[in-house]
Amino acid sequence: MIAPKQITVTIDGKRCAGAEGQTILEIARANDIYIPTLCYLKQLSPWGGCRLCIVEIVGSPKVVPACSTPATDGSEVVATSPRLRQLRRNTLELLFSERNHICPICPMNNGDCGLQHQGYVHGIETIRYPYLYPALPVDLSGPYFGLDHNRCILCTRCVRTCEEMEGVHTLDIAHRGIHNRVVVDIGASFGTSDTCTSCGACVAACPTGALFDKAAAFRGKLNTCQTVRTTCSECPVGCGLLVYTRENRIVEVFGDDEASVNRGHLCRRGRYETWAEPRSRILQPLVRRGEKLVPATWDEALGAVRNAMNNESDWQRGMLISPRITNETVSVLKALGPGYDRVGMVVGTGEAAFCRSPEFAADPMRSIEEADGIIILGAQPSRDNRVVAAKIRHSVRRQDAKLLIFHSRKSDLDVYADVCAGVVSLERAFWKRVTDTLKDVKHPVLVYGPAAMTPIGYTVLERLIGVFEKKRGGHAPQLVPLPVTTNSLALSKAGVEPLDDVAAWLGVQPLDFLHVVASDEPDGGARLLNGKHVRRLLEEIEYLVVQASYESALTELADVVLPAAVWSEKSGTITNFEGRELPLRPVLPPRGEAREDRAILEALLK
Amino acid sequence: MSDKPKVKVATAWLAGCSGCHMSVLDLDERLIDLAQLVEFTASPITDVKEIPEVDVGIIEGAVCNEENEHVLRTMRRRCKVLVALGDCAITGNIPALRNQFKLKDVIARGFVETESTQVGALPGSGPANGDVPKLADRVRPIQEFVKVDVHIPGCPPDADTIWYALTELLAGRMPQWSETNLKYD
Repeated sequence: MIAPKQITVTIDGKRCAGAEGQTILEIARANDIYIPTLCYLKQLSPWGGCRLCIVEIVGSPKVVPACSTPATDGSEVVATSPRLRQLRRNTLELLFSERNHICPICPMNNGDCGLQHQGYVHGIETIRYPYLYPALPVDLSGPYFGLDHNRCILCTRCVRTCEEMEGVHTLDIAHRGIHNRVVVDIGASFGTSDTCTSCGACVAACPTGALFDKAAAFRGKLNTCQTVRTTCSECPVGCGLLVYTRENRIVEVFGDDEASVNRGHLCRRGRYETWAEPRSRILQPLVRRGEKLVPATWDEALGAVRNAMNNESDWQRGMLISPRITNETVSVLKALGPGYDRVGMVVGTGEAAFCRSPEFAADPMRSIEEADGIIILGAQPSRDNRVVAAKIRHSVRRQDAKLLIFHSRKSDLDVYADVCAGVVSLERAFWKRVTDTLKDVKHPVLVYGPAAMTPIGYTVLERLIGVFEKKRGGHAPQLVPLPVTTNSLALSKAGVEPLDDVAAWLGVQPLDFLHVVASDEPDGGARLLNGKHVRRLLEEIEYLVVQASYESALTELADVVLPAAVWSEKSGTITNFEGRELPLRPVLPPRGEAREDRAILEALLK
Repeated sequence: MSDKPKVKVATAWLAGCSGCHMSVLDLDERLIDLAQLVEFTASPITDVKEIPEVDVGIIEGAVCNEENEHVLRTMRRRCKVLVALGDCAITGNIPALRNQFKLKDVIARGFVETESTQVGALPGSGPANGDVPKLADRVRPIQEFVKVDVHIPGCPPDADTIWYALTELLAGRMPQWSETNLKYD
């Protein structure tokens, strides 16, 4: 790649270096020159609609928007002048008059609103235009966020974010002129939308209070909150989180734009399910007395567990582990190991084979970004690794990458695919179509999941390798393994055995004692009970200990329940699908009597 | 005590919550300093109803009915410098939320349909007909009726901001608004 030509632009009298192709705004920002903006967001394509970033170019009578005007080598730009200030004021006054921007009742007031900020910057204490007071609706139908059209300035940051970051294009602008309005799908609401993934990126992008998180509204101005950067443990992508807290509670969770894997983007799970879902948290140890589970102290609970462990020397003892535990917990598990007859990790359906030969992809997000052909084999990123799905959609929609999906289950990505095969076909016509689709693909990426490690998966893989070998030009596909559960690959690599079939593992020799480390699984470990026969087998166990964060059908069965810390209270690392160890940083102290998994298990060692 | 004549001030509240006036009272001891330079005439605080000729008129609240309009125009006629105090006077703010609805629906909701109302009736439909000031179709900021000289934004503007604006005016200057002292909430 040839380096772009270096250019020099003078802005407000300052000589600024830049590269050909950069906009005036980009060069100004790189040189600490302030130009006000509202509709500009660095990670999105420029819109140039708010007209706040207008600048003068010496020699031209016109003003141009700095965000969308490429800088010309040797030009002189005026970014600050009385004329520009007045023009920007006019624009802001028109914005204030157009809709109902009532600061006192908005959750973004007092420092979190871009429009209010620009009003202050431009010294606006009153406007010259009559207020229109249009009657505009509020859409509160979605699960996590609302849209108040009264506060919208039609900057289209939400529209562009939804198209370019999440890739689903749920939002657009409908109607014309003064009747322009942000619209969900074609006249739907967030609650009835077929396409919205609730990733919340639009809310993060909105400069005003038009799009707002329901659980965060009025719970604390962001500029008065503390922030912690940590990692999401909901899936193996391991997105960076930026968590805002105030007075011992989480106010809001955004994507960390400094994290390289997601660069500020999140999916519904990390963005909302981590903090905005009401769940029954277990706050203290519980011990069974007869029919009921009653609160106990840690000493009582741990004492009960130790007694049960050591009491009957001929008891079969087992331990089941959640793949959400941190890497640092492994050493304690290994120390505890000898005390158990068998220890297994409860991974996703079909994921055990995946875990037994753990592979990590090097810079997979960049590979997908640069791919002109993406093959998904036996994986469902739109369900299990949604930020990867967003990246795939971006490449397909914005860069015309070809998409081929081989999976027996339908997924939301199917509509974007050039070839979508639910059933493996060995027909010549089908494979000719695959070959034709891949004809001009020079940078292919093969994303594969647990369902690829099956006879059918191997068949398709063989065929695909054949197609690539016969092609002329281009590279062999970059492989991107996509596990389903958070830390299973690294844990397996460290020696924790992944289980194919929990019922078989339970039934091979009946257990008398079982300790389930469900950790902070959002369903309290209840997914374990989905397996056939598992519930019956668990009920037959003499002594069941469940270590979990949330109440569930599983904790109901236990003899002892040990309260585990959740993601926001944990420290340690998890390894994402890139093979990178990412830090979990405690955001808040553990609630109630909850303790980290590692500490609980260490206590049992004594 | 100086010989300079005191600046005469009158205040009134229209469709407002009186919060801006409370914020004036929040000047605390500074009111004593103010009293050396200023004479408060008509005001809800002094409870003097008739507005005399004054130097400075201060209006809190938006115009929601004909009585508000009458008081506003009277104040404008009788003062040299008219001050819009607070967001309601400047933008309409909370009272103007009712502009989203038809007036008749607002009245029906307020006087008949509210959950705790036992026997509701629309105003103007009984013996007091004609005595209750007629509500305007839309609530409007005061500058859509009269020329306003000074605007003090805020909901309410805090005492320091009010102090700044008043002392600037007393010194013969117009207050200057910028990022350091503007607040819309």
